[in-house]
Amino acid sequence: MKHYRPIANARIGADRRGGLREAEPLAILALDSLTKVYRDPMTLKPFTAVDEVTLALERGEIFGLLGPNGAGKTTTIKMVLGLANPTSGRALLDGRDPRDPEARRRLGYLPENASFYDHLTPTEYLDFVGELFEMESGVRKSRAATLLERLGLAAHAKKPLRKFSKGMTQRLGLAQALLNRPTLLVLDEPMSGLDPIGRAEVKQLLREERAAGTTVLLSSHVLAETEAICDRVGIMKSGRLIEVGSVPGLLSSGVREWEIAVERLPERLAAEFRGEGHRVDAVGSRWIVRVTEGRALQDVLGRLCRDSIFVHAVEPRRQTLEEHFVRALAGDGGAAS
Amino acid sequence: MSRILAIARNTVREVVRERMVLVLALFGIGLVVASQVFSPLAMGEGRKIVTDFGLAGATVLATMLAIFLGSSLLHKELDRRTIYAVMAKPIRRADFLLGKFAGLWATTGLLLTGMTGIVLAIVTVSYHETPWVVLGALVLTLVELAVVTAIVVFFSAFTTPALTAFFTIATVVAGHFAEDLHFFGRSGSAAVAGITEAVYWALPHLSLFNARGLVAHGIAVEPERLAFALAYGALYATAALIAAGAIFERREFR
Repeated sequence: MKHYRPIANARIGADRRGGLREAEPLAILALDSLTKVYRDPMTLKPFTAVDEVTLALERGEIFGLLGPNGAGKTTTIKMVLGLANPTSGRALLDGRDPRDPEARRRLGYLPENASFYDHLTPTEYLDFVGELFEMESGVRKSRAATLLERLGLAAHAKKPLRKFSKGMTQRLGLAQALLNRPTLLVLDEPMSGLDPIGRAEVKQLLREERAAGTTVLLSSHVLAETEAICDRVGIMKSGRLIEVGSVPGLLSSGVREWEIAVERLPERLAAEFRGEGHRVDAVGSRWIVRVTEGRALQDVLGRLCRDSIFVHAVEPRRQTLEEHFVRALAGDGGAAS
Repeated sequence: MSRILAIARNTVREVVRERMVLVLALFGIGLVVASQVFSPLAMGEGRKIVTDFGLAGATVLATMLAIFLGSSLLHKELDRRTIYAVMAKPIRRADFLLGKFAGLWATTGLLLTGMTGIVLAIVTVSYHETPWVVLGALVLTLVELAVVTAIVVFFSAFTTPALTAFFTIATVVAGHFAEDLHFFGRSGSAAVAGITEAVYWALPHLSLFNARGLVAHGIAVEPERLAFALAYGALYATAALIAAGAIFERREFR
């Protein structure tokens, strides 16, 4: 296996808009024009699953890979893990080809719809995984016990995996991914099968891992969860990475409207505001006036004050990641990579 | 090496926890019943019949188990997606296959040894004499099992469970008749002789490992034959596993 010189991917990086960035330190994960073309076995017709994806992950960040089904997220992840071979371009783990087993020594991976050996118990499975990492017996047993406790599986440590629910299997998947204290965690749909408490625990766990310096690459359909924990996200569509950036950066176009909540609103003012194009709704015992421009906000607030109307709250409503995601997919503007 | 052993141990555990003990128990009961039924009809040849019948049954059973467990072992990993988490660990694909081979061979080998032990016990109890020469045949059959298991692993590296089982059974059957094929091929045209010569060398010469008839008559396996069979079996199994590893290395996980 080739071990590429660090300088080779030092220039591979993506800025907020996805363009290349110069003079990066060695990225923990670098994708350089990564492309995967499959051929239909019958017709030999080519199908591009991943198309020229270029990306660099910084140490200690949580990166969310987003996209609809069939966008190429899982194929990208498989190439990152060395499970699929790129048709062109390359993926590098800490400067190494992921097909080199040594490159995967500090990697943790949770597959999508994870499934583990039915005939084992969680303790046995984690012991088996520890052996694959060549961890010493005492170390792997103690680490396994810690992780089972941390992921709420300690009470089920001796239960056969065939009796595990989907949520419990997902927790075990996270435990096996964390066993070797990875520097890069690759999680394919980590929130899948988890209840709200489980999701909150996983988010907390990922924050703790980030604080400890672990880099996380996760793919997810649950955009609200992704928005809450990711430092940066990349949006994939039809195999292409169409947008990359920090969550606040992507949403900086930001405030879509302001909601002004007031205790009472005279009919005259309500009619005036409606006439000026603002939305006015009665919500319970309050009135909500929605304005979309900053200047209009000042004007409306001034008039409310002049009429001595108590303003209960002024809240900006920002674009959510989900709304941005839908717009990005519909628009598919400047391709980033 | 420890990774190969971990995969092998897991494979043994998987098979043992699912079917192995049941197969062994059924064989033991079947053999006891059969020996009691056939011995009175054997006209003084009961000991020979129980030994021959028992060893042949054990060999067929262990071989079939190796073929059918082996043909689905890799496919099951892919189908249940258990292989994805394993292959993301620092393990070479060839080592994974080697672990699977070692686990399957150990399992079927243990089964064969257990069944041979049952044969020995029945003969000892029924005829007050322990035919230790059976152990020579056991060693040869264990090597044969290694060859068959390596062939299963080779086919399973690139094809479906059904085709793996079919190709392996075809190879094993043809392998037992390799000498006959060679003999008949030489009597044909030059082209036929050339093809049969190539097939003869490619097929495993499994008749080399069959000493069951010999030991049933109380004759020990010669050390020279044992050594040659061991060397040939090791070489053949190694070649099959290297080819399997090379193919599996290129395989895409979709």
